[in-house]
Amino acid sequence: MKKSVSVILCAILSVTALAQRAEVHIVSCNDVHAKIENMPRLAAIVDSLRAEYPGLLVLSAGDNRTGEPLNDMYDLPAYPMVALMNQIGFDATTLGNHEFDSGPAGLSRLIDLANFPHICANVFPEPKWGMHLRPYEIFDVNGISVAVIGAVEIGPAGIPDSHPDNCKGISFKPVQETLQQYFWLREKCNVVLLLTHIGYEADVELSKDVPWADLIVGGHSHTQIAGGEIHNGILITQNVNRLQRVTHITLTLENGKVVDKKAENIEVGTFPGENVACAQLLKFFSANPDFQRTLCELTAPLTSAEELGCLMAESFRVMGKADVGFVNAGGIRYSTHEAGPFTVADVLRLDPFGNDAVMLELTGEELKQMLLACNAADGYGFPKVSGIECELIRDKKDPTKLKDVRIIWPDGSKCDLKNKKKIYKVVTNSYAAAVSASPRKDQGHAMNYLTSQMIIDYLDGKGSVDFSGVCHLREATK
Amino acid sequence: MKVKVNRRSVDIFDGARARDAVLRYLVLRKMDVSLIRQAEFYDALGHPIGADSPLAEGQVIKVKNI
Repeated sequence: MKKSVSVILCAILSVTALAQRAEVHIVSCNDVHAKIENMPRLAAIVDSLRAEYPGLLVLSAGDNRTGEPLNDMYDLPAYPMVALMNQIGFDATTLGNHEFDSGPAGLSRLIDLANFPHICANVFPEPKWGMHLRPYEIFDVNGISVAVIGAVEIGPAGIPDSHPDNCKGISFKPVQETLQQYFWLREKCNVVLLLTHIGYEADVELSKDVPWADLIVGGHSHTQIAGGEIHNGILITQNVNRLQRVTHITLTLENGKVVDKKAENIEVGTFPGENVACAQLLKFFSANPDFQRTLCELTAPLTSAEELGCLMAESFRVMGKADVGFVNAGGIRYSTHEAGPFTVADVLRLDPFGNDAVMLELTGEELKQMLLACNAADGYGFPKVSGIECELIRDKKDPTKLKDVRIIWPDGSKCDLKNKKKIYKVVTNSYAAAVSASPRKDQGHAMNYLTSQMIIDYLDGKGSVDFSGVCHLREATK
Repeated sequence: MKVKVNRRSVDIFDGARARDAVLRYLVLRKMDVSLIRQAEFYDALGHPIGADSPLAEGQVIKVKNI
């Protein structure tokens, strides 16, 4: 009889112990940058994991947008990603620096259209934006309370890495000191997860300051971590950008405390299977008629890369409010266009690289040296310019070699190369700024303004445009 | 800003990405810029990073397969 009672007691104790052991499963992505064609496969991954783990949390560590014109140039910019994330059933996202790319009003609209909360503790929008951000959210995963606290990187200028105009009317606080204010969530919840968009190195630093957190699901630096890494007792995860991989995190809890943390990467691009509803939604967004929208009418056909390059350089100069604009010759992707409508799609074919605009402040001599350096590195000919005329001086023995260039202002005067006090604002694309390794004091700064968007903004609503025969380069006659 | 690519100091515009710094590195080393298409990018600790990874002042990156 005594033996039977012992067996029954052991069985009850085992059942209790089992009941006190639980798992939390999370799928996380970061820096998707609107890789919308991978979203149906991500949806299939989520579906299969959710079938096995019904309480699955699906999280994004920010920068969901910016990188795919179908998404970023949608009528309501970046709405396709929000719609696809709604379809997949994301539980939360934090803000990445690129979430600010359509300004506070645009971000506010997207947050309202999302079926999941946007969590970011160090962002404080003015009430006029009606931006429904939350610093944290507590999720109930089969009786386990999981606190998710969000944070975004703050750059040297005191704002995330976006155009300053996009951050007007929003204040930001440092990540580390902000997150410390949420220590109380440790007492309240079984799991504390930091959903950050601050970069891998900053995540490792942060782990020293928040030993009370269980894990950091990170983004921003596009760092591929194999599964997860433990730093200072905290599990840190992140994947390379554009949805190549996601991370499946498994937290094991005993008596309500995390006792084991594991993470594995799942390849998205090669995952066999797609969610049908998500695939249909993608098809709908891919057939966006807005791409065929006419920006302006070309009154005459464009018959050379020179003319199209001048159009690009003029867009950079005007939209960048600069004295000079230029584009490397290799950055012009076609050389003819018939007269008539010039569409958004035409711009995206002309400038498909996703280059950012870069603003530099240069002396006349520095500008000349930069143009020569761009010519030498690009290999497709002299850059196309706006705001100046350039006289190309060839080597007499080898006319294929460019010896020098003479810069002439629109009034016909020559650029004074000896005047080091006169500074010119110059806008070019990030490729030209990178390959032009000439001596200059100012290396410039990225404007967080895509050059393709500059061209669209320049042409949009202009009515008729004529760049036929426009050429700002000529061969020197003496 | 200054960053390091394969231990070489590279002066590049603020807001540059890993790809931009490696392009400048290739030019400084008089290598063909088209090698950027096959380049593999890593952080200072050897983690793979994306070509679009944002860079900060003083950051160290490595590039392979060029």
